[in-house]
Amino acid sequence: MRRSSTRKTGSALPVNPSSGSSDAYRSASSKAVSKEVERIDNLFYAYADASSGLIDPEGIESFCSDLEVDYTDVRILMLAWKMKAEKQGYFTLEEWRRGLKALHADTISKLKKSLSELEKEVARPTNFSDFYSYSFRYCLTEDKQKCIDIESACELLDLVLGFQFRPQVDKLVEYLKHQRDYKVINMDQWTSFLRFCNEINFLSLDNYDAELAWPLILDNFVEWIREKQS
Amino acid sequence: MSAQKKRTFKIEAFKHRVELDPKYAERTWKVLEHAIHEIYNHNASGLSFEELYRNAYNMVLHKYGEKLYSGLVITMSGHLKEIAKSIEDSQGGLFLEELDRKWGDHNKALQMIRDILMYMDRTFVPGNHKTPVHELGLNLWRDNIIRSGKIQTRLLDTLLDLIHRERTGEVINRSLMRNITKMLMDLGSSVYQEDFEKPFLEVSASFYSGESQQLIECCDCGEYLRKAERRLTEETERVSHYLDVKSEVKITSVVEGEMIANHMQRLVHMENSGLVNMLVDDRYEDLSRMYNLFRRVPDGLSTVRDVMTSHLRETGKQLVSDPERLKDPVDFVQHLLDEKDKYDKIISKAFNNDKSFQNALNSSFEYFINLNNRSPEFISLYVDDKLRKGLKGVSEEDVEVVLDKVMMLFRYLQEKDVFEKYYKQHLAKRLLSGKTASDDAERSMIVKLKTECGYQFTSKLEGMFTDMKTSVDTMQGFYANQYSETGDGPTLAVQVLTTGSWPTQPSAPCNLPAEILGICDKFRTYYLGTHTGRRLTWQTNMGTADIKATFGKGQKHELNVSTYQMCILMLFNSADQLTYREIEQATEIPAPDLKRCLQSLACVKGKNVLRKEPMSKDIAEDDAFYFNDKFTSKFIKVKIGTVAAQKESEPEKQETRQRVEEDRKPQIEAAIVRIMKSRRVLDHNTIVTEVTSQLQSRFLPNPVVIKKRIESLIEREFLERDKTDRKLYRYLA
Repeated sequence: MRRSSTRKTGSALPVNPSSGSSDAYRSASSKAVSKEVERIDNLFYAYADASSGLIDPEGIESFCSDLEVDYTDVRILMLAWKMKAEKQGYFTLEEWRRGLKALHADTISKLKKSLSELEKEVARPTNFSDFYSYSFRYCLTEDKQKCIDIESACELLDLVLGFQFRPQVDKLVEYLKHQRDYKVINMDQWTSFLRFCNEINFLSLDNYDAELAWPLILDNFVEWIREKQS
Repeated sequence: MSAQKKRTFKIEAFKHRVELDPKYAERTWKVLEHAIHEIYNHNASGLSFEELYRNAYNMVLHKYGEKLYSGLVITMSGHLKEIAKSIEDSQGGLFLEELDRKWGDHNKALQMIRDILMYMDRTFVPGNHKTPVHELGLNLWRDNIIRSGKIQTRLLDTLLDLIHRERTGEVINRSLMRNITKMLMDLGSSVYQEDFEKPFLEVSASFYSGESQQLIECCDCGEYLRKAERRLTEETERVSHYLDVKSEVKITSVVEGEMIANHMQRLVHMENSGLVNMLVDDRYEDLSRMYNLFRRVPDGLSTVRDVMTSHLRETGKQLVSDPERLKDPVDFVQHLLDEKDKYDKIISKAFNNDKSFQNALNSSFEYFINLNNRSPEFISLYVDDKLRKGLKGVSEEDVEVVLDKVMMLFRYLQEKDVFEKYYKQHLAKRLLSGKTASDDAERSMIVKLKTECGYQFTSKLEGMFTDMKTSVDTMQGFYANQYSETGDGPTLAVQVLTTGSWPTQPSAPCNLPAEILGICDKFRTYYLGTHTGRRLTWQTNMGTADIKATFGKGQKHELNVSTYQMCILMLFNSADQLTYREIEQATEIPAPDLKRCLQSLACVKGKNVLRKEPMSKDIAEDDAFYFNDKFTSKFIKVKIGTVAAQKESEPEKQETRQRVEEDRKPQIEAAIVRIMKSRRVLDHNTIVTEVTSQLQSRFLPNPVVIKKRIESLIEREFLERDKTDRKLYRYLA
C-alpha cells in the first residue's frame, strides 16, 4: 500500500490505513473505488488530529498550504460546501470523504486541479444560492447563534459575492459599516442581499420599490445611496 | 195592341248614375271658391253651411276630390299672398299686431273651411295621402307668410328687439308676444325652434356675455351674483309669460353659462369680496346665493368646495402652528371649536347642509388637527379645564353639548392612543386632588369615549373611578375600627390605587414626618389585614395635606399643601432656620421636586409661608429658609400650589411619546399575527393596508414600523418569507 501521505507532507502524523472504517469500506466496493477511498482516507488522516479524529484549524492550515491556496480563499469555503461541512474550522471524516469523492480527487494534485471545476460548479445559479446560504450558516459558530456581526458579514460578503457583484458589495459594505441601526445581520437579511444584487439595477436602483417586502435594512441602504447621489 | 213579346217584368235598380258633367263640377267648385273668398273677406254670414257642405260632398263623391283639393290650395294660397302683402306694408310697430290679427282671421277662416270640407277631409284626404285641411292651412300660412322673405327676417328682428328692450328695462306688450310665439308653436315646434328659439338663444348668449363682462369689471362678487340671480328670475318669468315652456331650461342654461360658468374662477377668487371673504365675514346670504347659483353649472359646487377646503386648511394650519396660540392649550382648543362651529353654521345656513361640504369640512379638520402632534394632549387639557371648574353653573344639557363638540374634535385625531395616555394622567390628577367639578360630567365623558372607541379604551379609566369609591368605603371601615385610638392626632384620608389602572408615576419615596407615621402604619396594618397578598406603596408625590399654622402675631391659618410641602414645613416645628441641603437630607425629596416645592412655599406672593435668603427666585444649594413669622393673608384657609395639569415640559413630552411608541409595537405585532393567522399567506402591501385599517381607531401606524415588526416576527419564526414569491409572507403555525 502506498503511503502517499507520509511522502507528501511534513506532518508527523502516522498513517493508519487499517482503521476499522476503511476495512468495512474496502470489503464492499470494487478495487479501484476502494483504492480511491483508501487514498482519500489516508489524506484525511494526514491532517487530522489524533485525539479528536477531526481535521482541526491547524490541520486545515497545513492542508491549505499544501494546496497552495490561502485558508481565507473562497475556494476553501466552496470545498467546505461541497463537503457539507457543519462546523467552521473542522472537517470530519465523513465530510472529507463526501467532498473528495464528489470531486473525484484523492490526491492533493487532483484536488488542486478540481478547484477550478468546483468554482464553475458553484457559479451555476442553482448551486450559487445554496452556496450563498450555506456560507452564512457556516459562520454561525456558537450554539443557537442566529446572526453574524457586521464586521464578519462584510468580510463574508466580499468573499462570497465580491467576484460577481463588485460594485454592489463595495457600496453595501461601506453602508453597513456606516449605519448605526443594525449591529448584526440575520439570515433573512443575508438572503435578501443576494436577491438585491440579482434583481436590482445597480447603480440606478430604478426598479427598487421600498413598498415591497424588502427588509428595512435595504430600504435604508437604497435611501442612503439616493441621498448621496442628489 | 200589337203582339207583345212575353217579357219578364223586371224592375231594375235605380241606378242614379248622375254623371256630374265637368261643367257641373266646375260650377260646384266655383260656388265653393266664392265661399272661401267670402270667408276671407269676413262675409261669411251670408253663406249657407248646409249648401256648401253638400257641394263639397258631391264633388268628392263624384270623384272630383282632386279638383276640390287643389282648388282649395290655390285659393287659400292666393289669399295668403294678399295677406302677406298687407302685413309687409304695415308700419313699424303695427307689424306684429297686423300679423297677429291676420293670424286670428286665418284661423277662423280655416275652421270654417274645414267644417265645410269635412267630408273631403275624412274620405278623400287619407286615401290620397294628402295633408288634412287644418294642417294644410297651417303649412300654407307658414310658407306664405312666416317664411316669406320679407316677413321672416322682420318678424324675428321685431321679436328679438322687443325682448332686448324688455331686458333693458322697457315695458312691452306681452300678450301680443304670447300670441305670436303661440302661433309659431302651433305651426310646429320645429318652426318655433328654427324661426325663433335658436336665434333667440344665440342673441341672448351674446347679450349676457356682454353684460357679464361689463358687470364683472365694476361689481363686487356679491353684487354680481345678485344681478345674475335677478336675470335668471327675469328670464324664467319671461318664459312663463310669453315663451314656450320648453324654452325655460334652454334660456336659463344660457344665462347660467354666460354669467356664472364663464366667470366662476374670477368670482370665487375676487379680491375683497370673493368666497374667502364671504366665509370669513359669515355673509350667509351671499354664500347661500353663490351656492344656489353655482350648483346650476357643471363643476360649480366643486369649485366652491375646493376653495373653501383650501382656505380652511390654510387657516387651520396657521392656527395649529402659531406659537402664540400654542402657549395656552385651552384657548387653542376653544379656537378649534369656534372654527368648527362657524363652518357648521355656514354649511347649514348657506350651503343647504350639503353632505359633500360637510365631508370637505371634516377632512380639512382632520388634516390640520393632526399637523400638530400636541393636539391630543391639548384636547385632553381642554376637557380637563372644563371638568375642573369650567362647567360649574352650566346646565346639564349645556355640559353635554360642550362634551359632544369636544368629541367631534377627538374623532379627527389620528393618534387617539396619545390622547388616551394624557387623558388618564389628567383624570388621575383631577380625581386625586378632588378637583372634579361634576361627577356626572366625568361619567358622561367616559361614556362618550366608550361609545366612540370601545370598552378597551375606557376600562382602565373606569377602574380609576372604582378605586376612588372603594377608597371611601375603606376609610369608613378604617375609622369605624379605629375610633378609640384617634384622639387628637392627624386624620388620614387614603386613596388606594390599583396599579395598572392609574398612570404609572415613579414613586419617589420621602421621609414622612413622625407625626403622621403612626397613623399611616395603622392604616397599612388595617388594610393588609383585610386584603392579604397585596402590596401597598405610599405615593408621596401625589398626596395633599391640611396643616394648621400659627404665625408671629398669633394669626392662625389653615394651609393646604402637597405631601412634599407638608414634610418640609413640619421640619420647621423643630428649627427656625434650615438650609436647602438640610431640608433635602431630612426629607429625601428628589431635587427637582424639592426645588419646585420650595419655590411655591417661599417665592410666591401671598403664599410665602417661608422666607428665603437670598430673595432670588431660583433655589440654590446654599439657600437658607426661615419660617415666615410675618406671613399674612386675608384668607384663613390658604392653598399653596397644588399643581394643575400643566402642559408637559419638553423632556416629559419626549418620555410620553416614547412610551406611546413602545406601546404601539405590541399592538402592531398583535394585528399582524391576527391577520396572518386568518389569511395564512399575504403580500406585503396587503398586510400594511390591513394593519392600518385594524388600528385606525387608535392611531395611524407608520409603514416603516410595520415592516420592522414583520422582520422581528420573521426572526422569531412567527412568519417566514415565501420561498418562490418574495413578495409574500407565510404564517408559521
